[in-house]
Amino acid sequence: MSDDFESQLRAALRPVAPSDDFTPKIMARIAAKRRLARRAWWIPASLAASLLIAIGAQRHVQESRERENGMEARREVVEALRLTSQKLNLAYEVVKSQSGV
Amino acid sequence: MDGQLAKARLGEPNALAALVRAHQRSVYSLALRMLGTPDLAEDLAQEVFMQLNASLHMIESGKHMVFWLRQVTTRRAIDQLRRRSRVEMTAFDEDTQLFSTEDGGDPLLRRHLRLLISELSPPARAVLLLRYQEDLDPMDIARALDMPINTVKSHLKRSLDALRQSIEEHST
Repeated sequence: MSDDFESQLRAALRPVAPSDDFTPKIMARIAAKRRLARRAWWIPASLAASLLIAIGAQRHVQESRERENGMEARREVVEALRLTSQKLNLAYEVVKSQSGV
Repeated sequence: MDGQLAKARLGEPNALAALVRAHQRSVYSLALRMLGTPDLAEDLAQEVFMQLNASLHMIESGKHMVFWLRQVTTRRAIDQLRRRSRVEMTAFDEDTQLFSTEDGGDPLLRRHLRLLISELSPPARAVLLLRYQEDLDPMDIARALDMPINTVKSHLKRSLDALRQSIEEHST
């Protein structure tokens, strides 16, 4: 009696099928999620690449500016030396003419 | 099945689709009989398979996958039922094809079974379904639902007694 009752219960509780498009729906959701994940991977990657390029460009500009400033300082030192040398030459000429050498 | 599982882990859509097709009846039926309506059941079953896809790396074998699917489906259904109001819980649609009619079966038993399932608490409902739909023994049910074995046995006994009593009362 008990076995019969339980086997009737098992028969009534045999699995039933979902709608025909159940598997295609899941596969479509999974494919959409994968596409999104792939796209989502590119977003941080391109942001990181843009950041690296920006840092590199900024460093390049800074180095160029420092190099230009260095060249300018060098030009000024050379000009100062040239003027000093000119004045020393002039003073030497004056001293030489007064001493009658 | 382990071959399909290995291919699905590597991201082969056809292998994953084969796994879904092989287990969709079991997962959907558990969800349907736990929740009572086809729409909610399909949503839940889809979520379970989405979670399976994300968890394939943790699944060790075909046997493990079957256990995992039953466990996740029943636990998610219990959580969902606990969040819903008691009125909604008992509202099993009469038109919903909850039970198999493949071999005719006993319509009286099906009617009383529908009534019983709608009145059981979510954990007791899960115990009954895992025992008689999925044919799990009480020890496996206890593991799947993280429940003491004696609680599983007492749920089963009370459910069967209630079902027998209900049928006897209406047949006399």
